Amino acid sequence: MNPAKNASQSPPQASLSGMNPLENFRMAFESLWGNKLRSFLALLGIVIGVFAVTAMISLGQMATAGITQDLEAVAGRSIFVQPNFNEGQDFSSAPIREEDLQALQALPVTVIPQLFTSIQYESKPGERRSMQLQGTPGDLPRLDPTNKIARGRYFTDLEARGGLAVAVLSDRAAKDLFPGREAVGQVARLYYPGGARIDLTVVGVLEPPSGIFGGYGSSATVYAPIQLIWNTSPTARRGEYAFVILPLKKGADAQQVTRQVQRIFESRYGKGKYQVQSTESFQGTLRSVTLILQALLGAIAGLSLLVGGIGIMNIMLVSVTERTREIGLRKALGATSGQIRQQFLIEAVVLTLVGGLLGVLLAAGLLLLITATVPFFKVYILSPTTVFLALAVSALVGLFFGVWPAARAAALDPIEALRYE
Amino acid sequence: MTPVVQMQGVTKVYRSGSGSRTVEVHALRGVDLTIGAGEYVALMGPSGSGKSTLMHIIGLLDSPTEGEYSLGGEPVRGLGEAQLARVRNQRVGFVFQAFFLLPRLTALHNVALPLVYRGVPVAERLKRAKKALESVGLGDRLDHLPSELSGGQKQRVAIARALVQEPDLLLADEPTGNLDSKSSDEIMALFDALHRQGKTIVVVTHEPDVGARAQRIVRLRDGKVAEGSMA
Repeated sequence: MNPAKNASQSPPQASLSGMNPLENFRMAFESLWGNKLRSFLALLGIVIGVFAVTAMISLGQMATAGITQDLEAVAGRSIFVQPNFNEGQDFSSAPIREEDLQALQALPVTVIPQLFTSIQYESKPGERRSMQLQGTPGDLPRLDPTNKIARGRYFTDLEARGGLAVAVLSDRAAKDLFPGREAVGQVARLYYPGGARIDLTVVGVLEPPSGIFGGYGSSATVYAPIQLIWNTSPTARRGEYAFVILPLKKGADAQQVTRQVQRIFESRYGKGKYQVQSTESFQGTLRSVTLILQALLGAIAGLSLLVGGIGIMNIMLVSVTERTREIGLRKALGATSGQIRQQFLIEAVVLTLVGGLLGVLLAAGLLLLITATVPFFKVYILSPTTVFLALAVSALVGLFFGVWPAARAAALDPIEALRYE
Repeated sequence: MTPVVQMQGVTKVYRSGSGSRTVEVHALRGVDLTIGAGEYVALMGPSGSGKSTLMHIIGLLDSPTEGEYSLGGEPVRGLGEAQLARVRNQRVGFVFQAFFLLPRLTALHNVALPLVYRGVPVAERLKRAKKALESVGLGDRLDHLPSELSGGQKQRVAIARALVQEPDLLLADEPTGNLDSKSSDEIMALFDALHRQGKTIVVVTHEPDVGARAQRIVRLRDGKVAEGSMA
């Protein structure tokens, strides 16, 4: 006898398709509803597993979005060029020159050359501390909107070109130099490491940078005209810069422009002398780090799905044993083994689907709570893809772990089953 | 007219163990049996006589080791599991000693259950189930759960569940075994009424007064029909 062959010969009325598919779902719900507490406990494992996986994936996406936003707030969409120090040269061995800046002007970027040097101030009489002196063009906030003035103003282009003794302070520098006092209007007395003194009139204070990169950008820095540093510093050489920031103009392609900048420096100085990086390349690195973390946490969460699935299998096996007589009766009334198998498979899938749904809802709740309370997570992300994936996986878990119990139910001999006590 | 049950030389051998230790039990040793449409037959015999095995074979829950069996003119030899289920669903209405009602379903839904496996739409199913319940005098108990019914009422629900199938054969296994005498009388009266309506009924019993209600008694002894194999 070949049951499969025979089944295919039987008229459609008696085949599985003769039964309304919704019928099975209705029966499954009825049977699970009849055992509310047990059904709930059985699907708890799935709830936790789906909850964990969904929350992990979404939190990862939210973290990436948060980091990307923070990074943009601090650095904008910019390209950075600086000499490569890897080969142990001296700081000034490979400066960026005026001609390089001219070449960069052709690209869709704003060219902001900068200069760094160390400077000292007297924290107490006789005690000197270091901070950074940074030379910039005038009107920096207009050139690079990631710099924001908190109080006062930035020195103008005119003041910068004239090399006037004016300064803008970072939030930290203002607090260090003038603790408990308003810095704007004061004169900052600073010393080069060699001992030469400069007195700069403070015209403004910058806002502290926001987000998780706040720490990175909140160093004590005095901003002064490049011209002034060239005029006064014992080490800085006129016409040479340490660093160029190139904020991209609207619509410019970061990768393409980064390659163009690289080509300009390579054609002038050869390979490997200058480091060209963009905020997008930082973001790419961050994204891959988050992705690895997400995969790792997701795998751990997936383990709990496995445990949940085994729980489902266990409860389905118990259910099959308990309902032996019901199975015998259904077979006596004309249910085929296939229909019995289908009934129990669908029951397992309904169980895990309900668990998956609860898990997704829980995750959605947690994500809402986190967005509302943790400042770093600014945007709420629960993508339809994630939800679909979570539900599909829970249905698959039900299908996979339901196969064995359903097969046992289907294989029961009706006579034995009806006699079962 | 085609007999409902036609058996020739039906044997059933159960084997247990393996190799040289194989034990063979001959439950049926060549049964010839014919039951015509509209007959009311009691299947009797001491325990171990093979009457349960015969009932299972008649009801297609088991198949003969040898011999020919046709149910409603349809030979069952060589039918697969799914086809046997279909024939069972369409031709045999079971009534069990222990009722076997699903405890979480109302009387109406219990009765409608066999039609689920025929793919009858819900509304139609419930309509037919209601009619069947009314025909056994339980039109006012449609929404009761089995736990809310008396033993006699439960068995009447089970009979309605068999009737809803419109089977060729009503196959009752000790239908009064779990009932008090008053309920037993009720059920037996119901079988009498169904017989008068032309239903074909086979009752398996060891109780003489139940057997006495039937038109014909088929007695089994040692796996053979000792009496009443033909009308």
